[in-house]
Amino acid sequence: MKVLIIGAGPAAAGVALALTKYSDTTVQVLDIGGRLEPENDEARARMSHATPEDWAVDDLRTISLTAVASEQHRIPEKRNFGSDFAFRNFGQLDGLSSDGGVNSRVISGAYGGFSNTWGAQAMVFSNATFDDWPFPRSDLESDYRAILDTIPYSGEEDDLAEYFPLWGTADPLPPLSEGPARVLSGYERHRLRVRRQGVLLGKARLAFKGRDCVSCGLCMTGCPYSFVYSSSQTLDDLVRQKRIDYRGGLIALHLGEDDGRPFVAARSIATGDVETFHADKVFVASGALGTTRLVAQSLGLWSRRIHMKESAQFLMPLLALKGIKDLSQKGTFTLNQFNVVLPFDESGHDIVQIHGYPFNAEMVDALPAFLALPAFRGLGAMLLRRLTVGLGYLPSWWSPGFDVSVERPVSEGQLAGMALFTSTDDGSLARRNLRAVTRKLVMVAPSLGLIPVVSQIALSAPGKSYHFGGSFPHSRTPKQSEQTDLVGRLHPWRNIHLADASVFPTVPATTFTLSIMANAHRIARSVVEDDHG
Amino acid sequence: MAERHGPVVGVTGSSGYLGKALVTHLRDADFEVVEYRRKVDDELDLRDARYFDLSRASDAEIFRGVTCLIHAAWDLRETDPVRAWERNVDGSKQLLEAAATAGIERVIFVSSMSAYFGTKQDYGLMKLAIERAVLEANQLVVRPGLVYGGKPGGMAQTLLKLSSLPVIPIFRGAQLFTLHIDDFVAAVTTLVEAENIPSAVIGLAHETPTPFREIMLAMAPPDRKSRITLTIPWHLVLGLLRALEYLNVPLSVRSDSLLGLVRPAIVVPGRNLAECLGLSLRNFAL
Repeated sequence: MKVLIIGAGPAAAGVALALTKYSDTTVQVLDIGGRLEPENDEARARMSHATPEDWAVDDLRTISLTAVASEQHRIPEKRNFGSDFAFRNFGQLDGLSSDGGVNSRVISGAYGGFSNTWGAQAMVFSNATFDDWPFPRSDLESDYRAILDTIPYSGEEDDLAEYFPLWGTADPLPPLSEGPARVLSGYERHRLRVRRQGVLLGKARLAFKGRDCVSCGLCMTGCPYSFVYSSSQTLDDLVRQKRIDYRGGLIALHLGEDDGRPFVAARSIATGDVETFHADKVFVASGALGTTRLVAQSLGLWSRRIHMKESAQFLMPLLALKGIKDLSQKGTFTLNQFNVVLPFDESGHDIVQIHGYPFNAEMVDALPAFLALPAFRGLGAMLLRRLTVGLGYLPSWWSPGFDVSVERPVSEGQLAGMALFTSTDDGSLARRNLRAVTRKLVMVAPSLGLIPVVSQIALSAPGKSYHFGGSFPHSRTPKQSEQTDLVGRLHPWRNIHLADASVFPTVPATTFTLSIMANAHRIARSVVEDDHG
Repeated sequence: MAERHGPVVGVTGSSGYLGKALVTHLRDADFEVVEYRRKVDDELDLRDARYFDLSRASDAEIFRGVTCLIHAAWDLRETDPVRAWERNVDGSKQLLEAAATAGIERVIFVSSMSAYFGTKQDYGLMKLAIERAVLEANQLVVRPGLVYGGKPGGMAQTLLKLSSLPVIPIFRGAQLFTLHIDDFVAAVTTLVEAENIPSAVIGLAHETPTPFREIMLAMAPPDRKSRITLTIPWHLVLGLLRALEYLNVPLSVRSDSLLGLVRPAIVVPGRNLAECLGLSLRNFAL
């Protein structure tokens, strides 16, 4: 069986992992393939072969550029190895416009997609999440395990396992920073008092090699040793093993089926030529919005208002009662270190999650400008010693999400126009529930030694969480051209399968990428198993 | 081990009120039963009783031959919340892991109606945390109401003592879901035998709660002629009990138990499943 995968992000990696278990399946990946700039990549490569003590100052400066403030949004845009390549327009953002403050850098053209720059949190969805899905979590368990067996994974069994089981074998996490360790110790001492308010805490679960981590503190700007997972690592491995054929430099423009045989028309970024690829099966894994546009462009779904379900993000600065001694990101890892979980019902369906980040260099730049003035530097340092940045998520059914509309391209060989705009939901439910979250955290503040800075808590702009999807959700009885069946097929297609978050029926407030990979793996596995009878 | 035809049932907490009744009932019904307890007579056959302590790591080996495990053990001796959690919650989670490693097909965790979402009671919170682990392991949870009948233990025993006082304390508005001990053992036995039960929480109690006053008057010794009751503001008693606990004064009733009485669950969960299984749960009557 010949298979095409469009895209090289986490969903594509999930599909590829499932397909390449079958020797009679040939897999070709078609991708835009944006890469890190050569000089940055060379600096990263040099550093990966040396210990942190031996790193050249220039190399370190090149790759450790911190996040860049965005005029449009409160949370700055991350940089990876000093580059914006995960967000940059390689052609995939052409024709895309946004209104009402909706984030517009929402389709990645990078090899590995947004997994180049993600927070690496890896948790399975709660069992009750699947109350809204047309299949139970047990249908996905073997796929979660297959992914967790493949990617680097660190985490520990703790209270979070009550909702999010720790499947697979995990490395222990490296030692936590002083602040998070103190918070978790407070939780251990006052667990029942904290849980009485409906709050649970546990250590982070991360897709990174915790056992090998050298605690250089560069996680947030890119690990020189590639210990933080990116789907590009999976694809690199499969290319090396000659299990997939990778074709970069292509933008997919059109999908279709000729008598059931699928094809993909893609334009070369270098030459502008359009080439058509045929296969027995096509898996579309271009990211929820990239896929939505490609599908709409292929089926002529012009000017239809399509809702994207988003797990809304919020920023919650937290100040510790006691400051840390050493204001440095060296000697630790700077990914999320602990999670605060707030279940709002017994089954674990309505859960809010907050990821706690220890001090890292990006926080210095995020402080108000006046704190950089000499007279206020002491105050700034005092705040930084106490600051934990909480990045929280609400489930999509409490969040406004945003809408998209796809318009005819101006000419053939171009991508369709896509407008992003705010949804009709005014966000009042999200704000009300965010206040409920805040109240709970205020109640447990004395026990955890961590106080939410209430005045600074804010919902991020639509699209900013990057946890969105559901434009063509799975259904057991799919509505024509609105919903997909359980293997991601949209009517009238029979051999084209959507495999990314565009098929998610909901987006819970749980970490997102692992479930994208697992569901993509499930779709591909089901298709191949069906093909093999 | 002799040839067996039905499940081999392990029971933790077999020296407690519920555990003991279960073991007796199951043996009377010809089940092969292995008791798990802290004190094991050396002369006892390992087929009948094995050593188990919630505060010590469980080894899968102790479950050899057991196909169904009823986890009814609870250590009430520890009053320090951190140690109580370690002993009961962590101990139960280790037990679950060991049971899974040993390949036990069905685990039935005996929780409590005090374990409901939003409870403020430590006991209920701990039971709830174990319930989550049991459900994640695709196993069964039962939440008995206030169990009475037979030779009472646990909360029923405490209430019996209180009902023997010259003046019976009553808390306004308090009401409890109740369960006769015979219905409890019959229901759990049904769950041991039933096939294809989904992982779920099943409340074992009559669907109508009984007013606390009615329970206390029914429990009062029959020879007592005058049954004087006194309605007491529970907040006041709670504060008093907490103060005495803070001063390490030994008490027969804990503040946490009082919370369970005055802030009970408002519904019995899993009633549909209980009905499907034909569980018979009578209304309160002594």
